Amino acid sequence: MIATQQKVATSTTDVFGAFLSRRGFVKTGGALLVGFGLVSADGMQKTDVAASGNTLNAALPESWIELHADNTILIRVGKPDFGTGSVFTAYRQIAAEELRVPVEAIRTVISGDTDRTPDGSGAFDFLQGGMPNIRKAGAYVYQALLDLASERLGVPKDQLSVRDSIISGGGKSVSYGDLVKNQHLNLTIPVKGDVHSMFGLTVEGNPPLKPVSEYTIVGKSFRNSVTVSKVTAKETWVTDVRLPGMLHARMVHPKTLGSKLVSVGPLDKARFPNTQVVVRGNLVGVVAPTEWEAIKAAQQIAAGTKWTDWKGLPGNERLFQFLKEDADWKSTPAETSKKSNGDVASALAKPSKKLSATYQRPYLKHAPIGPTMALADVRSDGTVYVYTHTQNPQALRSGIAHMLSTSVDRVVVRTFAGPGHYGRSNGGNAGAEDEAVILSQAVGKPVRVQWMRPEDFQWSTQSSAAFSDVEIGLDAEGKMTAFQIDHYMPAMQDDRLVGAILAGLPTIPAPNEQGAVIGVRNDVHDPWIYDGTPAVLERAYGTFQIGQKSSALNVGLRDHSLRTPGQYQQNFPRELAITEAAVLAGADPLQFRIQHAREKRLIGVLESVRDASGWKPRSEPPSAVNGLKRGQGVSALFRGGSYWACVANIAVNMTSGAIKVERVTVAVDPGIVINPMQLKRQVEGGTVMGISMTLLEELRFDESGVIVNDWRSYPIATMADLPEIKVVLINRPEVGKYGQGSEAANALAASAIAGAFLDATGKPARRLPLKPDYVQALLRA
Amino acid sequence: MATILVNGVKREVQAPSDTPLLYVLRNDLELSGPQFGCGLAQCGACSVLLNGKEVRSCITPLAAVGDKEVTTLEGLPTRWAKQRGLSADQAAKTLHPVQETWIEEQAPLCGFCQNGMIIKATELLERVASPTLAEIKEAFTTSGPSPHLCRCGSYTAIIQAVQRAATRMVKRSDVL
Repeated sequence: MIATQQKVATSTTDVFGAFLSRRGFVKTGGALLVGFGLVSADGMQKTDVAASGNTLNAALPESWIELHADNTILIRVGKPDFGTGSVFTAYRQIAAEELRVPVEAIRTVISGDTDRTPDGSGAFDFLQGGMPNIRKAGAYVYQALLDLASERLGVPKDQLSVRDSIISGGGKSVSYGDLVKNQHLNLTIPVKGDVHSMFGLTVEGNPPLKPVSEYTIVGKSFRNSVTVSKVTAKETWVTDVRLPGMLHARMVHPKTLGSKLVSVGPLDKARFPNTQVVVRGNLVGVVAPTEWEAIKAAQQIAAGTKWTDWKGLPGNERLFQFLKEDADWKSTPAETSKKSNGDVASALAKPSKKLSATYQRPYLKHAPIGPTMALADVRSDGTVYVYTHTQNPQALRSGIAHMLSTSVDRVVVRTFAGPGHYGRSNGGNAGAEDEAVILSQAVGKPVRVQWMRPEDFQWSTQSSAAFSDVEIGLDAEGKMTAFQIDHYMPAMQDDRLVGAILAGLPTIPAPNEQGAVIGVRNDVHDPWIYDGTPAVLERAYGTFQIGQKSSALNVGLRDHSLRTPGQYQQNFPRELAITEAAVLAGADPLQFRIQHAREKRLIGVLESVRDASGWKPRSEPPSAVNGLKRGQGVSALFRGGSYWACVANIAVNMTSGAIKVERVTVAVDPGIVINPMQLKRQVEGGTVMGISMTLLEELRFDESGVIVNDWRSYPIATMADLPEIKVVLINRPEVGKYGQGSEAANALAASAIAGAFLDATGKPARRLPLKPDYVQALLRA
Repeated sequence: MATILVNGVKREVQAPSDTPLLYVLRNDLELSGPQFGCGLAQCGACSVLLNGKEVRSCITPLAAVGDKEVTTLEGLPTRWAKQRGLSADQAAKTLHPVQETWIEEQAPLCGFCQNGMIIKATELLERVASPTLAEIKEAFTTSGPSPHLCRCGSYTAIIQAVQRAATRMVKRSDVL
């Protein structure tokens, strides 16, 4: 929806597509006038706030940026922080740069509350193709300030200069604070989109942006402003939100993913005198004044509750056989990538050498350190407040309104710091939110729902399993003449609210042929980067959520984005196959990549990672030293404007099959590096997650549901698994854009490690994870 | 009703004696350091010091606390000030060196596990002044009921923050 235009203008100016009008001086009565907008003494905005239904009007500059009389600044963005710190580091730096103020002037960042931010969207793609909304909003406000100052100082706009919030020209100067004091102005910022959609609103128009060559703030290692509160126990985590009269709840979830409720177990009223049991359809919630009573009462009720049985999953042992032989890949058309070109069939018909292989990746969990938790307050007037840790509060708000058959302006979602969950809620829902709403509505009090550890493994979404078939043709000189890859992956984005499903309340449909966001359609998510290959064919096939159609609850293995969603599933097969092709060609896998690359930024990261890792072309196979064989592997990836390359150095225990990752080197060229220290930390973290997924992680499930229930049955990397990690950041201001930095590093490790395994042992390991049993079997084969 | 010593202050709590300490700290005393991660002593998010030893508050019943002193993330600056004999004025402006270096190294990503990481680091550095890399890894993996888990993968930053804190704490010991 497009925010409504503002009325009343005494004079107007066109500001590069935005619309500036001025209402002149207003009486303040002693109240602080902030920025371009009128605010009351308590700092809460009173004007124009509800224009798009209990969300700030994105057309108003003060919805984004408040300039205060003391030259401090507040910014607001719809995207919530999720641990990358982007809103507290990159966004502050970008806004400060456009506004020509010190980064410290931006004292406050409000993000991710639906009633206190303008633009929606979620905690992903923070840099929005290099043009985050706050960049343009800052640029518009800067131009409006110049216009104001020109009028105030009587100096033409092009003769003004600005430094640290002071505008000077013609021997006179005025500060931003003085300029906006007692002014009630109205600049209309053009926006488009739907604030409740996954991607929210986009700021339009083309305000002049600060030239990158004049940057003084972007590129410096500013600290994340919330780190202090997080390490000193001053942060208000989602787990700390308390409301008067709040009750604690635990859920009793169904026995299987297809079970219907038969009968609810009896409650021992003598032991749990203050506990209430809420039953709605197949949803069972246990509500009590204290958390411990809720936990114990829920355990007692769960033990006596009866469910129907259901078996509708293949079980993880049969997963890839099921995907290959039984899954329906024909209900939605295959997608072919834009980079596909040339006559692949002819080239593959008569190659000098040919690689044909299939690669498999299992289901994974997002596995946040804290299980999902939300607090909901459904008030007697029908308004709903949800306090949670979601990546997409506006989408959640829309889902909750839909569930309750009410309008979105009755629902407010507030977000708080919490355990990162890496994409699980980028469509709105992390798990507990809707259940908290249903229980709060039932008992008429605020209710806090905390899932327990087993539930977070068994009832949350997972990252889709996938397999890919690859064929590569090589000519007599060892060059790739053709590359063909067919990717197969079940539906990736199930944004339904699971509590609503259990309670029989309205939700969006299960992923289907039409698709809510992407439905069952699969896409080529991993952009092709080896442009020196004459013939390329990349296709992606999708299918339905496994188990969903036969489940009485209409849920199967619900899938959801996990960092590099879809791309990780596709980059592992592609990059390992490229390494195998290089070996088949008798070439060095790193040089082979450079030979097939045309883009200089790709060649740049490959050369950087080669030099920084001490890569040495292999002249002869390694021999075992103390039972260990060592190898090196390389991978590359392009995502969100950034080029990445990775080298892994590993040791393989030839007896036990254990793989130890000893060193990982990552080079990234994101165009403009915004904050070197934060980017380095993100790359290190992503690398560890990538190692974890490569060596340890596989979701186990039987015919009825997920059988993983704790950190022993779903191990993730510990400090013992940590290699030496070297990060090379390549800053290229001439690119003029900010590339994504925080969600690609995790995808690089698998293919680099498997490549290193091939280098060490001569065996391709085409199925993840590379656990000792599988490795031993490969070594014996 | 029980009386427990938390961060140097005696606190009366009404919770039943079988209540895990975590819920007492979070809900009755409204402390926000220790977090609920698993309830199974498998992740370390809920860690506190009990007489200086790192324990998992999610499986420690209130009854087991007795007269031992509980130190949470909130109590680390006071603990440090007391150990170093700082004045009340100095203490009010002090963070524990582990907290300082956690900020300097920008260790947290989402930060949810960092309570346990900081508590573990404090326990380690009170016991071993200048731990080796192997000793640091041992502390965070095999020394307790489970490894301390970080899903964001901040282990590199944690090691660097521990090493930096160790240097600082040794230096300050010399001065004092």
